[in-house]
Amino acid sequence: MESLADTPWDVTISGTGLAQSLLALALSRSGKNVLHVDRNPYYGGPEAAFSLQEAEEWAAKVNEETGELPFENASISSESSADPAGQLAASRAYTLSLSPQLIYARSQLLPTLVSSKVYRQLEFQAVGSWWLYKPEADDSSRLYRVPGSREDVFADDVISMKSKRTLMRFLRHLGQAQQSGDLSEEVNLSLEEEGLAAPFPGYLATKFQVPAELHGPLLSLCLSQAPPQQTSAQYAVPRIKRHLSSIGVFGPGFGALSVKWGGGSEISQVGCRALAVGGGVYVLNTGVKSLEYPTEQEPSDEGRIQIQLTNDELVKSRFVVGSNWDLPAEARPSPECDKVARSISVVSSSLASLFPVAAEGGPVPVGAIVVFPGSSLGYADDSPPVYTLVHSSETGECPTGQSVIYSSVSIPGPEGQSMIETAMEKLLQSAADPNVKVLWSLRYTQLGRDGSHAADITFPSKNVICLPPASLDLAFDDSLIDTVKNAWELVMGDEAAAHEFMKFEDREDAYDEE
Amino acid sequence: MSESTSTNTPKPSSSVKLVLLGEAAVGKSSLVLRFVNNDFQENKEPTIGAAFLTQKCSLPTRTIKFEIWDTAGQERFASLAPMYYRNAQAALVVYDVTKPSSLTKAKHWVAELQRQASPGIVIALVGNKLDLTNDGNDAAGETPAEAEGESAAADGDETAGETQEGQDVTPGDARKVPTREASAYAEEEGLLFFETSAKTGTNVVDVFTAIANAIPESSLKSGRAGGAGTGQTSLGSGRPAEDSRVNLGERGPATAKEGCAC
Repeated sequence: MESLADTPWDVTISGTGLAQSLLALALSRSGKNVLHVDRNPYYGGPEAAFSLQEAEEWAAKVNEETGELPFENASISSESSADPAGQLAASRAYTLSLSPQLIYARSQLLPTLVSSKVYRQLEFQAVGSWWLYKPEADDSSRLYRVPGSREDVFADDVISMKSKRTLMRFLRHLGQAQQSGDLSEEVNLSLEEEGLAAPFPGYLATKFQVPAELHGPLLSLCLSQAPPQQTSAQYAVPRIKRHLSSIGVFGPGFGALSVKWGGGSEISQVGCRALAVGGGVYVLNTGVKSLEYPTEQEPSDEGRIQIQLTNDELVKSRFVVGSNWDLPAEARPSPECDKVARSISVVSSSLASLFPVAAEGGPVPVGAIVVFPGSSLGYADDSPPVYTLVHSSETGECPTGQSVIYSSVSIPGPEGQSMIETAMEKLLQSAADPNVKVLWSLRYTQLGRDGSHAADITFPSKNVICLPPASLDLAFDDSLIDTVKNAWELVMGDEAAAHEFMKFEDREDAYDEE
Repeated sequence: MSESTSTNTPKPSSSVKLVLLGEAAVGKSSLVLRFVNNDFQENKEPTIGAAFLTQKCSLPTRTIKFEIWDTAGQERFASLAPMYYRNAQAALVVYDVTKPSSLTKAKHWVAELQRQASPGIVIALVGNKLDLTNDGNDAAGETPAEAEGESAAADGDETAGETQEGQDVTPGDARKVPTREASAYAEEEGLLFFETSAKTGTNVVDVFTAIANAIPESSLKSGRAGGAGTGQTSLGSGRPAEDSRVNLGERGPATAKEGCAC
């Protein structure tokens, strides 16, 4: 086998998270010598997807090597049951995603995957209804289906006519803003006059007289993980616009997608495969141990950085790219991170009622979002909501008859986990038969960006490109595309202009049309 | 065996995802190039570029469209992605009959497939570079395993028994892996078994035909055939409402930049 040291590398990418893998995809036709390593034995970094056994190994590693991964405090519990109907299947029957995200139809990720031709290796599925948990006075509880489109608003039989009128006025306002051009520009121009800096609930009440009963549903559509009063209209309004404008783009009744078999992990693998096809060399289980920078006295290697890999091989590379957790400790800045509590639970019910077909001729959704405002769970009004993303077995993540519930709340640690637990109880009470069991759960804290920090690349040293922490957003954060493009431009230098970012022709012989 | 043999009456057609595995430089890509293009390149560079090829295989009752995933060189540092195996209905595990270590590696890949891939996967063990042995040089009509389907391994073994004697010691014969050894292993593991030459074409088409025959009818009807590739085959056609798949290619580029759809 040839030695890695023999190649003068142009770029060494460390880590196979979504950011690095999209960069790999971007560089897949560049003609650059790219070495792509990951110290983990799996692809996907913080977006990885695991079987049960892999998840157990991962959890042990998180706890042993605190600080080495963007995760903390992982724990697993599983319930053994005598009832054969509610049993865990074999480990490999599960593909559980550490960072489940939905992708809006208007996300820039989709045109990127299409123009780079890798979308054919992915299977996209519809993510359907939004549900809001509402406790009832008689101690019963129910899930309220949030009207996600104008048609839904008309059809809704809970909202009063008067409320519908104010809601339609607000939605019309969003629609007009949309037609008049670029969303962000529009927001900036009218920031002052519209009072967008105010908390979103106040904005809705004062500007559009939207009654309080509709604040929760509208908040749920913007997927804000902050408490209501800390969610500004400036943050919420463009996100609701994104939601509404995504409905119907790829089919009737839905506006968001997920990728079958584990979401971001699949996209990562497809990006890495594209670079491998383009000549990139892949080594797993091997990270970057240390970097030695070129001195001016030694111009022989054209200023290449000497990299010691964790398997003690030495390679030389012009650029080194990685996230904070993929670069050696001395070479990285300590990132400012937000933390969220997350859990993944396998339950013994298909939770079929959560996945109605939203419009005639539409696909059966494979995912549903259930939102639990902090106050609805008995916490203070200023506590953040718990989001659960429910995936049916159609996602390929669990066997038929079961489903996977991904939960997230912006309070890390035991407090957040106990909020999640309460939300899970309510969810199962509301949507499943009484015999439902949680068969398996993984709880953990995840580090990343909540969207309020800038997603800028940093440069610990010359030609060392440090990618920002992954987004904790529940919807794919389009700023990642800009980050990747930025890194690509740095690596390509003057050649960037000649190559088009992520725009490729089909490879020869591939995918001949019938 | 190819498009040219297709008749006027349309037969049911199914896609089958087939993955290639084996040590570097055993001739995985060469086998596929021989099968798909009936071509052979000496001193072929490690696989770069073409990592996905398709080829139809016409059987008496149906047509199988192989979607062949080559490794793109990711096998070199044991860095293949799970996506690669996922939903594969067939695998070609290739070794080099002149290199015993490559059979050891092939056995590792078989174990990996049994661990990682779909339970019903059809695995063919293929000893390539038969042209470098005396068998490859003389016997044009002699094939180590001609049988179809599940019995291939057993028949291969039988044939091997007749031709095996003294093979290892023949002067000028580069063979280092006796047919008997590999076929016995294949039989034990329930694999199809062939010895091939991508260079001369010996047995190459037979491998794929045997695989096509061995794919259970039931797994073709499931509609999940081929995983990633099948989305492409139905581009432009309407989808039944109960299907959860969303067709990105058809609508994505056209509508993603246009106005509000709600």
